[in-house]
Amino acid sequence: MEQEEKQLSEKESLELITTMINTAKNSYYDTGIGAIMWGAIVAICSLVKLSEIHFGFRLPFDIYLLAIVAIIPQIFITIKEKKERKVKSYDDTYMDYIWLTFGICIFLLIFIVNNISADLNPLVKDYKELTKGRIDWVDFRFSEFISPLFLMLYGFPTFITGAACKFKPMLWGGIFCWTCCIISIYTTIKIDLLLTAASAIMAWLIPGILMEKEYRIYKKEQAILNV
Amino acid sequence: MFKDLDPILHSQLRLAVISLLISVKEAEFTFLKEKTNATAGNLSVQIQKLKEAGYIDVIKQFKDNYPQTICKITNAGIRAFEEYVQVLQTYLGKKG
Repeated sequence: MEQEEKQLSEKESLELITTMINTAKNSYYDTGIGAIMWGAIVAICSLVKLSEIHFGFRLPFDIYLLAIVAIIPQIFITIKEKKERKVKSYDDTYMDYIWLTFGICIFLLIFIVNNISADLNPLVKDYKELTKGRIDWVDFRFSEFISPLFLMLYGFPTFITGAACKFKPMLWGGIFCWTCCIISIYTTIKIDLLLTAASAIMAWLIPGILMEKEYRIYKKEQAILNV
Repeated sequence: MFKDLDPILHSQLRLAVISLLISVKEAEFTFLKEKTNATAGNLSVQIQKLKEAGYIDVIKQFKDNYPQTICKITNAGIRAFEEYVQVLQTYLGKKG
């Protein structure tokens, strides 16, 4: 576009508009680092918890604290990604808010679940002792219903991101989380933890790796163009 | 009777810039240069014309000690672009 005042025909104008709008739409690439990190962390936390239950050992700290610690590198990743972006789209803003909402909902859910457990567990324990195992439903364990709640939440921003960014691995990842959510209602806590780990891998880790790969290709192309 | 096409927008580079900016919230000068394949000098001139027409906002700042220029379409720019497309469609409709 060297000729600054080149006059266009109506058809050329419309073609140029369409081309530029599509170019702008396809100009955003996520580095995928955040998705890789969260996919790995949630999978590790679930698998370590599963090992604790299965092999009967306990770590000196709650493994889920790792998820809280991971917020710090996430802040740095977000700042770095924003700095590197040459363009800010409307989708980016919505996506930021969706993932922020998700983070807030997760912490609220942890708070709610802990409060329910603190109130409910002594009640169930007392009832168990009173009935001396005569009634079957007393075997109710609230902990087995926690994973479906989290899996339901995991699916929501993942599905939206996949649909909005037309990124199928995340779209399917979201659907996978909701499928695991339904299954985990009927399974024991060990299977629930396995399903949670599988969901984290399918919803974030694998799509993150694919995003990172695409981003590297994009960066390489940019480097060639700028030579 | 057809309305005339906005002369500010009816130029290849300025139309390309406005079409890019209509799709995003804001964009750096380097992004516009990369996508339009224009030279820095030519792009600067065209951006200045769009700014003078009130179609875009240009923010100049420093990022990591380097100057950075950010362009953003204004409400007047959005209205002008929409009108331009409408007029364009009437022309094409008549010809078709």
